[in-house]
Amino acid sequence: MKVVFVALLGLIVGAAAAGTVIYFNPLTESRAPEPDSSDRTLHYDLPGEVLGFTLGEHVLPPGTARIEGFWEETIDRTALLSLVLDGADDKPAAVASRLLAGSAATDFLLSGVLVSDYWLLTIPNEGTLFLRADSNVWPFLKQTLLPVWFFGRPWAGPADYRPTAGPGEEGVAVVMGATGRFAGLEGTAIENYRLTDLDPASRSVAAVGELHLRLGASQIAAGE
Amino acid sequence: MKSTFVVAVLLGFVGVLAAGHFVPWFPHVRLPSKTTVVANGGRGEQFIIRLPADRIAATGTSSAGLRVPNAAGGASLPPDLAAQPLLVEHFKVRDSSNNVIGIAARHWSTDASGTGTAWSLLIPSRGAMLLTAPGEARGALDSALQKAGYSAGSAWNGEVKVALAPDNDNAGVVAAGSDEFSGLEGRYTEVWTLTGVTDVGELRGTIELNTVTRRGT
Repeated sequence: MKVVFVALLGLIVGAAAAGTVIYFNPLTESRAPEPDSSDRTLHYDLPGEVLGFTLGEHVLPPGTARIEGFWEETIDRTALLSLVLDGADDKPAAVASRLLAGSAATDFLLSGVLVSDYWLLTIPNEGTLFLRADSNVWPFLKQTLLPVWFFGRPWAGPADYRPTAGPGEEGVAVVMGATGRFAGLEGTAIENYRLTDLDPASRSVAAVGELHLRLGASQIAAGE
Repeated sequence: MKSTFVVAVLLGFVGVLAAGHFVPWFPHVRLPSKTTVVANGGRGEQFIIRLPADRIAATGTSSAGLRVPNAAGGASLPPDLAAQPLLVEHFKVRDSSNNVIGIAARHWSTDASGTGTAWSLLIPSRGAMLLTAPGEARGALDSALQKAGYSAGSAWNGEVKVALAPDNDNAGVVAAGSDEFSGLEGRYTEVWTLTGVTDVGELRGTIELNTVTRRGT
């Protein structure tokens, strides 16, 4: 009996040590480079500029009120977010549809918690872009969502995240022109956002974000 | 006793790290792919959207007509965009056996060179595809329905087929993909078969996306 107790204690100590390693593992931090000042930047405001949001029922956070989400087992770990993005003049300039799904490349040792994030981004009178991004949500989960939302810790205030973690070289998202003047062009993108409000009591979250696009300097220049 | 504790600590430590590395944390349910072999090479796969059940939301300007009915659930565009010719639609996607297998977004817009359509299809267990084509004429579905006898404000039943990406000009292109769809090249057609419109303007029918792809060089 004593042996079993010692073995169990050892397992718990070992698991806790591994959990600490995972929590502080620097390999799972986002490593996307700083956006370049010449990038074209579109920005958004959540929830103010959300056109629609549907979440798979399997990824609803515990305690969330039951909503009508994606219930089919093939898509119950996905999400669909539609939002308006503003241009440099702070006026609405684009509409994006983001199809999201948990990524099979998620790895708590090497890459973090990855979400496959596919954007269809239309800028009226210019065309449509397709963005393929791997977004690492682990820093947000471990620094903010888990401690504040689930463990009731006080929120330390606005927090900045740059979730883009690939699949392009140096951890940038891959952009492909789909229609209009963007057709046939390729480029990269980086997303960052600032969490401005998180209130578990009222189940509210607010953030402002930016999408930095680089798609052929002569085709898509800053401030156009 | 001491060695038991040390071995248990090591087991706990290695076990949790191994789980963090090897466990598939997002196991998406996968149904068998309903692909067919095409006679002249490549593989064919059909994706189906049933209206109105599979429509998640639609957002667009008034020129979008019946494709943005009040019942579609989409939010309104801000005034700065509401004047632009733009139509954003979101759907669930089924395979040819009628099983829901993914979600999709369809964007239609205009630019200096004309109109353009882009589809983003996400099948979580397999990856994503980008389909592009020249866009249909504004109000194409409404025009076809009116020719078949539909009038606004009243219910209509019948059958109208509208090819928004027809197969006669090979205009619809499978432009990009990820994961299982990575490196595929090919064509697609998009056909809307409308069998009814309710008195509140809700479309009934199916959208068929037929893809023919092959491994790129």
